[in-house]
Amino acid sequence: MDLVKLTIDGREVTTTKGRTVIQAAEEAGIAIPHYCYHPKLAIAGNCRMCLVEIEKMPKLQIACNTQVTEGMEVRTQSPKVLQAREAVMEFFLINHPLDCPICDQAGECWLQDYYMQHDLRKSRFIEGKHHDRKREIFGPHVVFDGERCIKCTRCVRFLQEVTRTEELTVVNRGDHSTIALFPGKVLDNPLSANINDICPVGALTDRDFRFRVRVWYLQKTPSICPGCSTGCNISIESYQNRIARFKPRINEEVNSHWICDEGRYCFHALTEVERLASPLIRQEGGLVPTDWQTALGTVVSRLSAAPPAAGVLSGRSTNEEAFLFAKLLKQLSPQARMEVFYRERELTEVERILKSPDRSPNFRGIRDMGVSSDGGFEPLLRELAQGKFSSAYIVAEDLLAQFAAGQELRDALAKLAFLVVQDTHLSETARLAHVVLPATNFAEKEGTYTNRKGRVQRLSPALVPPAGVLQDLEIFGRLLSLAGAPSAPPNSREVFSQIAREVSRYQGLSYERIGTQGVQLET
Amino acid sequence: MEKILLRNVDAPESHTLAAYRSRGGYRALEKVAREMSPARVIEEVKASGLRGRGGAGFPTGMKWGFVPKDSPKPKYVVCNADESEPGTFKDRLLIEKDPHAIIEGTIIAAYSIGSHTAFIYIRGELAYASQVLQKAIDESYQAGYLGKSILGTGYDLDVVLHRGAGAYICGEETGLLSSLEGGKGWPKVKPPFPATHGLFGCPTVVNNVETLAALPWIIDQGAAQYAALGTEKSKGTKLFSVSGHIRKPGVYEVEMGYPFKRFLEEDCGGVPNGRHLKGVIPGGASMPVLRADEIGEVRMDYESFQAAGTMLGSGGVIVMDETTCMVKAAWNIARFFAHESCGQCSPCREGCHWMEKIFWRVENGQGESADLDLILNISGNIMGNTICPFGDAAAMPAAAFIKKYRAEFEAHIAEKRCVISASG
Repeated sequence: MDLVKLTIDGREVTTTKGRTVIQAAEEAGIAIPHYCYHPKLAIAGNCRMCLVEIEKMPKLQIACNTQVTEGMEVRTQSPKVLQAREAVMEFFLINHPLDCPICDQAGECWLQDYYMQHDLRKSRFIEGKHHDRKREIFGPHVVFDGERCIKCTRCVRFLQEVTRTEELTVVNRGDHSTIALFPGKVLDNPLSANINDICPVGALTDRDFRFRVRVWYLQKTPSICPGCSTGCNISIESYQNRIARFKPRINEEVNSHWICDEGRYCFHALTEVERLASPLIRQEGGLVPTDWQTALGTVVSRLSAAPPAAGVLSGRSTNEEAFLFAKLLKQLSPQARMEVFYRERELTEVERILKSPDRSPNFRGIRDMGVSSDGGFEPLLRELAQGKFSSAYIVAEDLLAQFAAGQELRDALAKLAFLVVQDTHLSETARLAHVVLPATNFAEKEGTYTNRKGRVQRLSPALVPPAGVLQDLEIFGRLLSLAGAPSAPPNSREVFSQIAREVSRYQGLSYERIGTQGVQLET
Repeated sequence: MEKILLRNVDAPESHTLAAYRSRGGYRALEKVAREMSPARVIEEVKASGLRGRGGAGFPTGMKWGFVPKDSPKPKYVVCNADESEPGTFKDRLLIEKDPHAIIEGTIIAAYSIGSHTAFIYIRGELAYASQVLQKAIDESYQAGYLGKSILGTGYDLDVVLHRGAGAYICGEETGLLSSLEGGKGWPKVKPPFPATHGLFGCPTVVNNVETLAALPWIIDQGAAQYAALGTEKSKGTKLFSVSGHIRKPGVYEVEMGYPFKRFLEEDCGGVPNGRHLKGVIPGGASMPVLRADEIGEVRMDYESFQAAGTMLGSGGVIVMDETTCMVKAAWNIARFFAHESCGQCSPCREGCHWMEKIFWRVENGQGESADLDLILNISGNIMGNTICPFGDAAAMPAAAFIKKYRAEFEAHIAEKRCVISASG
């Protein structure tokens, strides 16, 4: 690897040959303002915001397209550079509507930010502004405001280079230039909403999120997408204990800068449900509320009295939960068989850029924790439907809603001597249970997921669970105690320490080591 | 002066192969194909001192020398016939009257860089010229100057004529390449340069019509003959398109270094109707205007025009007499550039329209005292900061008109009307 030494603003910087000035500066912690440059897209060089002064070059150069050379002297703060930056800001703003208060991008708008840093003066533009299309629907997730667009072409390049679906282009010339759909096209590909993220201004906004919350109120929690086993890194952005949106969190080992649309919006179905407020127990006439002590005691006594038991964990359960669940089921019902819910579907070429064929983000980790049986999930489910088990413990998967041919399964579940369902809401499956335990969703818990490729990554709680429910981990822990097993550690961090001691592939891991970017298991 | 570029244009049927050959046409190609190595041709062109006639004046031989010899990719020669600079109509004359000189020049260029496909990108509006050129290309194929094994040498070359769709920016060499590739005519970010990453990412030389048309004579008569003409740094002859308030408008071939004042007054017959010269743009609408009192010592070569604060450019000489409103002229030019800005990069996309709007206000009695300095400032903010030279092309004339005719602009603002036009 050839190294190149240069100076940026008088600081000596060493970087790799082939890097550009903007990259070398970023490595050195010097931010060069830019709009069109995006590390994952081809260089467009059109915004001119990253102009810098380079010794021996008569004109300012764009930092995004200038490769570093040995001994290069770059100035990013010289009077000439500052003047050019101010000029570019002015050019962007002359035709831009100055109505930030009603723009959904406000608060995370690069025009606002750079205006404050590099312009900060009154407009000299007294002409009539150029007008363009407002709120044109580009697709199910994207709406376009032509007047706010700065023509950086990030969206166009994303659709050319990442999805290769090419729905958008630039049409017309001069200040009439605008982004438009190709005739007959709709912007509806599996990654379409990423262009809302990379749009630096309010031109492309998310139809699901816009005008719901002012972004400065959002609380941001780093976590993992529960949509599939790719394990895309996300930021859960919430307001008043509700998820407002998912945003991709950069992880070059997993999802780079992107997430898929299905994952992005999956929180609606997973969190916007009518929550259970207390455990339920079956009596004459149906399920009635009960207290936790009664509910948990019933589970322990009746599950152990009705062997063999089948255990089904949701693919969204954490490693820590799975670890305790496996111990619990073995304790209560030594002949128990258990599996993680897992089912595949066909993916299109564009879906395959990010998506995995399942909807079980942690199937791999759950199996690592011992929740696995010969043949996998499908044989277990078949045997459950065939009545080969006397009892079952189903966690956070509505099996009846998942399968069209549910009648056989419904009859089998109804005939079980004991069925316990643990979920956030009263699902179809839960309605058949003898005991229903109200629990938490992915956004309310701490823990780890192991993705399809064996990367262990951390979930963080973004939301506070409603009153009356218990964390899944606590439910398993209390059941273990009631069943007479050694008491489980009190929180997921300590459960993980135990995993790191007992599960050989996870040896030596800790929450600290996993950090925000995860750790790859050795294969 | 012996004519080089216009040597054939007045001959009967000059556009035909027969007429061209009867006047020594394709003799240079025979010489190149039978006697000269590609490297030798490049040396000869370097020795001639020929510089690009599209406007930038870059040495032609040196440009060819930048093409990598060991590239595994195909190489291309592109003849830039997208003549669109306002006030410029020299290439059209060559295409219509001497198309074979352009084709012969194109073959010589292609041979010298090892290209087997050449494109001629012609301005779409030049419908008649396109027909003439296509016929000439067909004739060349029939005569064995194009196609497989040219003149039996084993060297193959195809020439493809491509008509543009009507954008000034496609005359900028990388905008042209984008257009030729089938894309929007957006100039490319440089580096890389066309010599290494041009058409379809392959090594490419883009030469202007006039540049290529000079090659047969240079090869035939020798580089020394050509270099003997002109000045120390501006060799040979140059075509000038003369228009506006001038008695004898038209295309003139001038030896580099010829006195500009004498050219206008004697060769072109001066300003008609007893009026006085007010200003002249020497190199097409994108070049700074010269006041009448500034042209006295100016000579018609790259260096002398530059010393006078303007540029030779495309050689489009636009003459304006005393009845011309310089605010309106400036607005007219600004409007052209605002209309033709491709819109790719921000300073040009936004700045050209802004300047145009201000010029319009000043001309129409709505100017404000701060407007002139504002335009100068906008112009300075565009200059040098854009992807392609278009930004400079729009910025330079705007600033020049204000600097050189400031009193007239101020009078427009003070009197809130046009102070020149009869209609006021």
